[in-house]
Amino acid sequence: MTSLRTAMSSSRAEEARRRVAPPGGADRVFRAMLRIVGVLVLAIMATVGLFLVRNGSDALGMAGWSFLTTQAWQPDSGNFGIAAVLAGTVLIALVALCVAFPLAAGVALFISEYAPPGARRALVSLVDLMAAVPSVVYGLFGAVFLQWNLLDVPRWISTRFGWIPLFTVDGYDPDDPLSSQTVFASSTFFAGLIVGMMVMPIACSVMREAFSQAPPGEREGAYALGATKWGMIRSVVLPFARGGMIGGTMLGLGRALGETIAVYMIIAPVFVIQPHILQSGANSVSAMIAQQWGAASPFGLSALMAAGLALFALTLVVNFGASAIIARSRSGQESEA
Amino acid sequence: MKRWALLAAVFVLLLSGQPAAFAQGYVPISGSGSTWSFNAVDQWRKNVEQYGMRINFAANGSSAGRNDFKAGQVDFAVSEIPYGLTDGGVKDVEPTRGFAYMPIVAGGTAFMYNLKIGNTQVTNLRLSGQTITAIFTGAITNWADPAIKADNPGLNLPARKIIPVVRSDGSGTTAQFTTYMANQYPGMWDAFCRRAGRATPCGFTSNYPPAAPVIGQSGSLGVTNYVRQPQSEGSITYVEYSYARNSGFPVAKMLNKAGYYIEPTAPSVAVALLAAHIRSDLTQDLGDVYVNGDPRTYPLSSYSYMILPTGTESPFTVEKGRTLSDFAYYFLCEGQQQADRLGYSPLPINLVRAGLDQVARIPGSTKKPTDINKCNNPTLSPDGGNALANSAPFPSACDKIGVTQCAEGTGGAKRPTPTSNTSAANNGGPGGPAGASSTSDGANGAGADSANPSDNPAVDAGGDVAIDPDTGQPVNARGGSSGALAQPVSLGLQDNTTTALLASLAVVLFLGLIVGPPILARVLRKEDR
Repeated sequence: MTSLRTAMSSSRAEEARRRVAPPGGADRVFRAMLRIVGVLVLAIMATVGLFLVRNGSDALGMAGWSFLTTQAWQPDSGNFGIAAVLAGTVLIALVALCVAFPLAAGVALFISEYAPPGARRALVSLVDLMAAVPSVVYGLFGAVFLQWNLLDVPRWISTRFGWIPLFTVDGYDPDDPLSSQTVFASSTFFAGLIVGMMVMPIACSVMREAFSQAPPGEREGAYALGATKWGMIRSVVLPFARGGMIGGTMLGLGRALGETIAVYMIIAPVFVIQPHILQSGANSVSAMIAQQWGAASPFGLSALMAAGLALFALTLVVNFGASAIIARSRSGQESEA
Repeated sequence: MKRWALLAAVFVLLLSGQPAAFAQGYVPISGSGSTWSFNAVDQWRKNVEQYGMRINFAANGSSAGRNDFKAGQVDFAVSEIPYGLTDGGVKDVEPTRGFAYMPIVAGGTAFMYNLKIGNTQVTNLRLSGQTITAIFTGAITNWADPAIKADNPGLNLPARKIIPVVRSDGSGTTAQFTTYMANQYPGMWDAFCRRAGRATPCGFTSNYPPAAPVIGQSGSLGVTNYVRQPQSEGSITYVEYSYARNSGFPVAKMLNKAGYYIEPTAPSVAVALLAAHIRSDLTQDLGDVYVNGDPRTYPLSSYSYMILPTGTESPFTVEKGRTLSDFAYYFLCEGQQQADRLGYSPLPINLVRAGLDQVARIPGSTKKPTDINKCNNPTLSPDGGNALANSAPFPSACDKIGVTQCAEGTGGAKRPTPTSNTSAANNGGPGGPAGASSTSDGANGAGADSANPSDNPAVDAGGDVAIDPDTGQPVNARGGSSGALAQPVSLGLQDNTTTALLASLAVVLFLGLIVGPPILARVLRKEDR
């Protein structure tokens, strides 16, 4: 129905394409204002980037390329680099996506396709509420409650799938009843799990929006050809919303890369690349900045700025990549044609 | 019209009355720093709220506190260590604004641990400084290590991995602990530093080197929370005594120079700090505290400091000086009475007096005349000595090195842990005759006896039947059946073939459940056709 109405209104707009009056004062002011706002956003981004470059140049100049390859953080003795924390950031974000994507897609599909109208409204506001919970609350929940009560999950994974290098845990022997459980706490896995919960609502609302815009004509067409509800979703809704799903996930990835305080509260910081995601000890760029800046010397602060710059660049790359993917996938306009 | 004038007059009166009322009130002030002394500062802060003082204190670690003060972001800071020290090759330069150090409270850096034998929580662990250093530098990794057994002849500790939990943020507690290790066991400490990629000799540091096997957590509350989890069995951390008490966990008794294992209670901290050298700027030199020969000494005792502004550089003002000075007068005087209850130790009189002199230097200080004799400070004695230290109880005989340890608990866990021992005289806690004979320092023997009135049941019962003062049961009736006396048992290896068989059976069943029904349905449909 909605598409029908928009089609009608657009045809009416075409008839009335004649300009009533030449662009006047109000028009010009409005356009100027929008232009200023648009430029302002760019200016803010550029300022942040410039600030980081200017303040981080000291440390970057001293460390050179080894800044990207060193796995340590002792800026005051000249031995520092972001190899470990950057790898940790990416690992935490990937775990977060593995948690957030299925959860977000499932909830979004349920809300837009299956839920009865009353439950739909409640669910939408609940998911929005999840996005509104401050990250420090998630951090507390994760650090004090979740990771200690869920220790059996990584233990089970490690016992059964320990032969996969990713799930190996050093110092854990399933046959030793006295082996410590803490090797599973404060790990990349739990940091990613909590970040995934925080990222889920954002991804979910973008996906929900995309699902609900699947064209009714094609939906009805699928039904007319004898598709079941699941068949219709598979052949119409999901392909149509692919761009939205990727976009929502990427938006979540952007937030997951930068999530600070919840990660800081859960992890036990280490400064080596930790590929074993179930094992205690993890790190991320933003958590390291939060943990170090209060007690940093002036040069240490410069090194932290350089680390911030690296995170800034990484987020930028991820977001540009996301927009490129979304632009190439099938968008709403094409489907109606 | 007249009514309006009257109203206006009343209003003006009210307004003019207001400044007078404000003069009684205080300007809010804010500080940041040490989590070590946070429990004390926070309690004092709450106590002075009734006088209208609003004190904000952010416990973000001593290093961050000193940096905040230097950057002019807070009115005062609380730190364990002063400015001007060189940590990891970098000197912590002094702030450009005027400042002074003022001791606020004493306390012991305690070793809180989570350890069980069978199902019994261990509450009477004893550790020497060397063992502690070995644990926190990764030289000892198992609770069944012979070095730990030598400290605890009465406990059969499980062969469980030790998880040393350290502070991941810049911390004064870390600075105090690493100062001790660098001072007493430089060899082990430097070896660890080298392994962590630091330049040696390492010296003290506020940032614990993050190398295996230590686990870093932020803040005193962070490490406490980690250790107190039931899943964290086998972990140990260093925090101020109050954190262990508040969370209901035991702390390790630490071996001192005289050969006694001592808990960081208020009196033992006070005794230890009698050997501290106070420099002219009131900062501390603890070198002699570590080796204090008094048998009641807790070696890792120290003072905590407040860094006060002595100038009115932003953000400090004369009005804030009024609040800060009255707050300081409160905790230097009345506040010290609560130190013991909070898990700290009160300042001795000479430091209270020196502190009061510092408070007078704060711009806008109220210079409140304070009669120290009316402060009820527990260290005050008529002859000018430290009353708390003088009356400190001497350690029981069972706290001596090489002897089966006392059963009673420590810190926040006072439940006794039974020890495996055949000799009742040593086992029943402060056994009378044994107490007198094994305390070789003759002067202390009398003190030990008089300080322990609970000796009497054991003495009355005679040599071999000691009565536990808590339960009224004969002490040696426990025998070997009690939980904490568990003997290590080696388990046979699991039968791997059975496991593999069951696992493959489960996989086949699972696959059958998924694939079976569709195949069956298809076959049935074909038959229909």
